[in-house]
Amino acid sequence: MIEFNLDRGSGVSTYLQLVHQVKQALRLGTLRPGDQLPTAREVVESLAINPNTVLKAYRELEREGLVEGRPGMGTFVRQGIAGATLAEHTRLRRSLEEWVRDARAAGLDQEDLRALFTVVLADAAKEGVA
Amino acid sequence: MIWVTWRQHRAQILVTAAFLVLLGMLLLGSAVEASRYVAEHAPPGCPGVAVACGDLAVALGQRYEAVYSIFGWMPLVAPALIGAFWGAPLLGREYERGTHRLAWTQSVPVGRWLAVKLSLLGGAVVAGGLLLSLMVSLWRPVFRTGADSTFGNIGVFNMVGVGPAAWWLYAFALGTAAGTLFRRTLPAMALVVAGVAVSMFTLFQLSDYYAEPARTELSGTVLPADPDARLVSAAWVEPSGREVAEPADSGCPRRVDVGQSSKNAEAWQACLFGKGYRYAVYYHPPSRFWRFQWTDGGILALASAALVGLAVHRTLRRPG
Amino acid sequence: MRPALEATGLGVRYRRTWALRDCSLSVPAGRVAALVGPNGAGKTTLMHAAVGLLRPTLGSVRVAGEAAFVAQDKPLYESFTVAEMLAFGRRMNTRWDDAADRLAGLGIPLKQKVSGLSGGQQAQVALTLALACRPDLLVLDEPLANLDPVARHDVMRSIMAEVAGRELTVLLSSHVVSDLEETCDWLVVLNGGRLQVSGDIEDLLDGHLVLTGPEGASAAGTQVVGASRVGRQVSMLVRGAPPLDPRWQARRPGLEELVMGYLRSPESAALPGLTGVGA
Repeated sequence: MIEFNLDRGSGVSTYLQLVHQVKQALRLGTLRPGDQLPTAREVVESLAINPNTVLKAYRELEREGLVEGRPGMGTFVRQGIAGATLAEHTRLRRSLEEWVRDARAAGLDQEDLRALFTVVLADAAKEGVA
Repeated sequence: MIWVTWRQHRAQILVTAAFLVLLGMLLLGSAVEASRYVAEHAPPGCPGVAVACGDLAVALGQRYEAVYSIFGWMPLVAPALIGAFWGAPLLGREYERGTHRLAWTQSVPVGRWLAVKLSLLGGAVVAGGLLLSLMVSLWRPVFRTGADSTFGNIGVFNMVGVGPAAWWLYAFALGTAAGTLFRRTLPAMALVVAGVAVSMFTLFQLSDYYAEPARTELSGTVLPADPDARLVSAAWVEPSGREVAEPADSGCPRRVDVGQSSKNAEAWQACLFGKGYRYAVYYHPPSRFWRFQWTDGGILALASAALVGLAVHRTLRRPG
Repeated sequence: MRPALEATGLGVRYRRTWALRDCSLSVPAGRVAALVGPNGAGKTTLMHAAVGLLRPTLGSVRVAGEAAFVAQDKPLYESFTVAEMLAFGRRMNTRWDDAADRLAGLGIPLKQKVSGLSGGQQAQVALTLALACRPDLLVLDEPLANLDPVARHDVMRSIMAEVAGRELTVLLSSHVVSDLEETCDWLVVLNGGRLQVSGDIEDLLDGHLVLTGPEGASAAGTQVVGASRVGRQVSMLVRGAPPLDPRWQARRPGLEELVMGYLRSPESAALPGLTGVGA
């Protein structure tokens, strides 16, 4: 089971926050295939948000093939998300550390690093890479 | 809807019922006690119009001063209270508290909501008024056998027959209409009290014209034989037969009385009668009791209908 | 689909002043519509016309099915107990669900007098009365005003749960836009008695941009809702596609920015065609 919570100041739309939280739970294994997602009414009763927002998030997850709605029963997880393996994780982290050292040497401070990373991430999102 | 009406107005209904019960007990108690007193103290033929009964009437009057003083106030106070506590809050309080927006947005249409309330409460008010009239009518003869003054005394007149019912209904309608005008309870209550007082005075003035007054010519006295008659006007009749308001050149000396004495006036009147003057009195005899009761009742019923119509119109127009 | 609420050329006049003028809008069924605008914009007037508390001076307003209304300040009979308030609702309505359980679930004692309840509890009783007659349209005038944050959240949860449970359209007014951000999916903006915005919130936010750029940058090709200038920097709320001038930085507006943008420019409007539903 999953319990949603909202970061109301984040600027990320509510339905996207719900989608991300389900995906995160799938990655971490707290949600597994066959598990049921809370009903719209349950989510709404705890978060006081528009039920259409919940339905929209579930539709999005369904479109991505992660969950399926069974009429009259609820919404169930169809498949998990295969996240990167531990080895991959380690390798990527190493290369990022190297990049950070490189950037430091070039005179960028903490703030600059963060801004650069955010811009690259945002551009990648726009192009549909991330 | 009946339950809703009862629940919202039960305080007024219960207090009025308790008042009527209490009054009934007071009247019954005093009547029983008075009958015993009369049986023990009254000379034969009393109570009645005989001069010998005067002492008894005075004694009874003193004994029941408290009851009489309630009586003196009731014709005015009772309708005023009915208007203030039954009529004024009916719509005034709903507007004041904003609960009209709750009551008028349920399935029951506003028209029916108002019709049920007006007919139930109006019916209760009329029933209460009739009950009061009945109790007073049963009680009074104990004191006034043979000398009834239900016609001449306007206070008593308004407490018997259809009087109380008509006045109570009128005050209720006035309060209801005032509630829609002010949309507050307190100003509506004030308007009812003032309105009932003014209406009562106006109607009394008007009642002189309900019928052509009877005319009689008196000689030797200026007081009509029937103490229960309602005087409209009076005039002196010269020996020539001409009616004048103030006899001129009669040759009778007129001096001003001092204090409570009426010696000089009486001497002047005796002198006039001696010279052939007569005293013409225009009056309504007590036999017109029901005619006047129904005329009053009719006028008040029409006024009530008009006021209720105004209240209904203002409510159904639905300005927020 | 038939709209749950439809106003056509609606105008309401109090004595000489128009509280509402030429207002044509429709709210599709199943929506939670936010009615926003400054005080005196005509929000309450529109709601009163919708629930039949006042007759329109001009035009008409139609509700599909039954409407329930909770007026501003949630009026209840103060001398009644909670149980008596429920009895009132049962006797005044043709459709009625027993709502005692719902109140018991909220910890509101039925024997308590209404005057002894907290503001939040009174709001819940008023809402329960409105919901118990199973309305198709629920109209709420400032339902969150005068409530503490916990009570606001609880009231909103109750409303949203009801919307999730069955086909119910909600029209609720507020002058605090942030109250409505998570809960409403339809926006109606009134300003000075006139309708400025009516439409799906996501569509509206997608259809507008906040542009920031230097003075003199060309905004040709966009429809400017409102602009403000600080020094040499200009910010604008625009409708439609982003302008070609590359000096503009564009982003999607928040709900509050959108509403403020329109309220500050009363001459701008974002309305569907007079007859279209827009959904």
